[in-house]
Amino acid sequence: MNFDGRKYVIITFMLLVGVIYTVRIFYMQVIDDTWTLRAQEIAEKRQEITPPRGVMFDRKGRKIVSNRTYYNLMICENDIKHLDTAAFAKLIGWTKPEIRNRIYQIKKGEGTYTNPQNGKVTSNYQSIRKYPFIKELTLEEISKIAPHLEDFKGFTEQVTSMRNYPFASGANILGYLSEATREEIQQDRFYKPGNNIGRSGLERFYEKELRGIKGIKYIVTSAMNNAIESYADGKYDTMARQAPPLRLGMDMVIQAYGEKLMRNKKGCIVAIEPSTGEILSMVSAPSFDPNLLVGRRNISLNYPKLATDPNMPLFPRPLQAEYPPGSIFKLVQALIALQEGVITPESAFPCDKSVVGCHPGHNARNVAEGVQYSCNPYFYAVTRRIIQQKVKKGLYADAEYGLNKWFDYMQSFGLGKSLEADVSGQRPGVIPNAAYYDKWYGHHRWAFSTIRSISIGQGEVKLTPLQMANIAAIIANKGWFYTPHFVRSIGKKGALPPYRVKHRTKVNPMHFAPVIEGMRRVVNEGGGTARSARLDNIIICGKTGTVQNPHGEDHSVFIAFAPMDHPKIAIAVFVENSGFGGTWAAPIASLMIEKYLTKKIKDKAKEKRILDAKLSNIKELPQAIIAPVQE
Amino acid sequence: MRKNDSIIAQLDWPLFITFIVLLAFGVSTVYSVAYNPEHPNIFSFEEKYGKQMMWLGVALFLGLIVFLIDSDIYRKFAFPIYGFTLVLLVIVLFMPAINGAHAWIGVAGMGIQPAEFSKIATGLLLAKYISELSVKQQTISNVVGASMILLVPMALILKQPDAGTFVVFTSFLFVMYREGLTFDPIILSVINSFPGIKMKQTWVGSHFIPILFVAVILSVVTLLLSNVEINLFFFKASGYMGVIVTLIILALVAYLFVRQFGSKRDHSRAGVIILIGLILGSALSFSVGASFSSLAPHQKVRIELFLGLKEDPNGEDYNRNRAMAAVGSGGLTGKGYNKASVSSVESNHVPESETDFIFCPYAEEWGFIGVAVLISLYMFMLLRIIKIAERQRAAFNRIYAYCVAMILFYHFAINIGMDIGLAPVIGIPLPFFSYGGSSMMSFSVMMFILLKLDSQRKDVLR
Repeated sequence: MNFDGRKYVIITFMLLVGVIYTVRIFYMQVIDDTWTLRAQEIAEKRQEITPPRGVMFDRKGRKIVSNRTYYNLMICENDIKHLDTAAFAKLIGWTKPEIRNRIYQIKKGEGTYTNPQNGKVTSNYQSIRKYPFIKELTLEEISKIAPHLEDFKGFTEQVTSMRNYPFASGANILGYLSEATREEIQQDRFYKPGNNIGRSGLERFYEKELRGIKGIKYIVTSAMNNAIESYADGKYDTMARQAPPLRLGMDMVIQAYGEKLMRNKKGCIVAIEPSTGEILSMVSAPSFDPNLLVGRRNISLNYPKLATDPNMPLFPRPLQAEYPPGSIFKLVQALIALQEGVITPESAFPCDKSVVGCHPGHNARNVAEGVQYSCNPYFYAVTRRIIQQKVKKGLYADAEYGLNKWFDYMQSFGLGKSLEADVSGQRPGVIPNAAYYDKWYGHHRWAFSTIRSISIGQGEVKLTPLQMANIAAIIANKGWFYTPHFVRSIGKKGALPPYRVKHRTKVNPMHFAPVIEGMRRVVNEGGGTARSARLDNIIICGKTGTVQNPHGEDHSVFIAFAPMDHPKIAIAVFVENSGFGGTWAAPIASLMIEKYLTKKIKDKAKEKRILDAKLSNIKELPQAIIAPVQE
Repeated sequence: MRKNDSIIAQLDWPLFITFIVLLAFGVSTVYSVAYNPEHPNIFSFEEKYGKQMMWLGVALFLGLIVFLIDSDIYRKFAFPIYGFTLVLLVIVLFMPAINGAHAWIGVAGMGIQPAEFSKIATGLLLAKYISELSVKQQTISNVVGASMILLVPMALILKQPDAGTFVVFTSFLFVMYREGLTFDPIILSVINSFPGIKMKQTWVGSHFIPILFVAVILSVVTLLLSNVEINLFFFKASGYMGVIVTLIILALVAYLFVRQFGSKRDHSRAGVIILIGLILGSALSFSVGASFSSLAPHQKVRIELFLGLKEDPNGEDYNRNRAMAAVGSGGLTGKGYNKASVSSVESNHVPESETDFIFCPYAEEWGFIGVAVLISLYMFMLLRIIKIAERQRAAFNRIYAYCVAMILFYHFAINIGMDIGLAPVIGIPLPFFSYGGSSMMSFSVMMFILLKLDSQRKDVLR
């Protein structure tokens, strides 16, 4: 038989394979980009370079938040050769079991991967990769270790940066950083495991402005993850860019002084520049050194201590503590009443102690005297005129009408709602309206007599210290305010847009004069409740308050602004459990004003009295491990 | 000797040049993939390219010897050569295992793989055996005899184990097929053992090898596509339905082709063959696809992993996934010489990229244009060898040439197929390309023997 024809079968097979392979490879290489993407995934690594965070300056140009270089001691198990554990332990000051334990921790911390097909469990840990063995070593620490690392193959140093707070103050304002959580990493692809994110305060509010732009370096890597060369000679690489600095309206020296004055006390100080709404100082006492929460080591050591401290140093009192305002509230009542026309500056009300208690020895003949003496019956009468305007038929409907009108005024003062300052976690306080009381008592089942305690800032009314300070700023400005804020400029741009909008209250500027006169007398005239706040050369206008506290000693509160004619500072001081407002809050405010306006204190005795006062039993807070660097 | 009898005058230059060009491509690819900037010289013997150059030199030297020796010795000494390699294949089993296989015999610090050389020896003996058969070839004893020549080394190679070379040995079945030695007598004797049946030949039996080949390819393609949803004009279907549609289209094309060019007598015969082929193929594809679809998921995964069809980029399918990424990322024009980012030895994403996966760096660096050139060169070489085979006067020469063509074809098809997801991952070298002394020497010697035999074809009287 002749089998020559069979060669065509073989040739057909060969050509078929050749054609199929050619078509297949054409598809893979030219048409389908799946494999190109996969190749990039395999061989080209994006190396992200995190820039140092943006720094912050205070209003006087002092660098108050900076970055400091730290070092991680990295371990690469594959590179380790004949490790002399004892010598290494001695070098880093650990024990041998601690080293073994740490290596075990690193391996365990990487977790495992379970192959869904065959159920094989493998560790994510790779002995060829570098892992941080000790994180966040200071220059002093690494400089003791680094020269000897040659003898310990497999251990290398890596540079990293962390926050540094040259002034050990303002922790409640500045906030702190900690590593981004898994949820945060999922939400925002900017973050990678190990990246820091602002956890509170300005660090959190201005996270996007501070974090900067990550640099991206494309490198060709091997299966061992070693960088081989930069991809396409760095054509697609981008530089990491540090965010522009934040310039704060805060004065760090005043802030530090405030924290010093509030030592061994609980409470807060909020100082605002009335003309700009910039917050000059915001003390939350007890305060702590922001360097306590820098880096993993510090956080793990100090955070639990701070969080479990019964005096709650982490609680941002100026923003979140809602206190009844006490007598300082009378200022707003007078302003509303004047605007509503239910009283005149010359209205007089007797000090009728049968309606509400008061201290003896006065009868207020006009608004200024009412403020000066802080006469409770006077403001009882004033507020009744606001609430019960006799416009609507029936006592209840009239009270409902009056209260809602009052509520609108309060809202225009930024009360009963969050002020929206540039720091997260502010509380709105409480300003009741008709609906609020309807819920308590039922519709048309309450009148002024039911809710009268609001007239002297007690009862349902609650304000945050920030709102109290803002009231002082509004009065200093005679009726308007910028929303209080910390950051006056971001790089070359100004403050964020919401802080450039002037808010006007519903009270006409002309009505402020008698109230301001009353505030002047409070500090500067005989019979005023805050004579202790008086300064020789600066006219302070203020108002004391004593907040009844059913749980213990009354709270002392004082709001003020100065100088009277061209106000440069508006301030609220709140001292918990310290009794009468004139005793503690007023002198503290006075010292703050004097320090801010004249940079020095004349009355050393007054200062000493405040510094020595132990009004609360405050536990000694830990010291920062890493001493801050002055810059 | 007359002047035109000299090796230079009688050499098949097209094949020889293609062979040399492929060798040059191969060495340059090894140099590119294993390039070490510390030893930039291609003759640096510390590096793989230096060693490969050395092997190339050895291979060319062996080629010179082959050219000088009279070609008659291969026929005469086919059996001793075969026996010698069998001895080596036995000895190698007692050698220490490297990477889990007893494949290497150490000689003075160098290793050789006898399995590579056994392909030549088997080809030579098979050529001698078949060429010396009487005219009445198709007897059971002849088929068994030829099969035994393959089966003995195959068994020894499987013992190593070396699955790749084992599979390559099945290429000799095509040689037997070409020479009319098929399994038809065995099938016939089974059929004829039934009373009342007397058949002289069966079509299936005589074309058993290619039919089996097609059936295996069809099954694999069906499995490949069984998890794919495709749109067939109007309705959605499982991927294997596409295979059946393709078969119908192919059958129609083939029938039209036969009608156009075949004689009248062929029409009905070809029509029947095409129709039966279509029905059998569709039935096979349908049954494989349908039964695969009905398997439990874990069984499916096993089969897919076994066939290397499963995507598990970091686990079982690590090699293939990376190899395909390397090839696929080449684009039209490639990344440029020495620019392979996935498959260079240094990056090591594709394992064995200088040996079994050497097509990856080539495809990555030269892109589709380079691949098209390479495939064309191989195709030209294979067809040229078949042309050479068919012009031989001596059956021995023809059969040996077919052995060479089929071995090269298998290596080409499996080696490149595994890099592009069309063949299971079986580690066999790409002829003339892959780094390694044994394969370099065995393929070169195989080619030189062919060239020598061809140059002396006119000396042989029919």
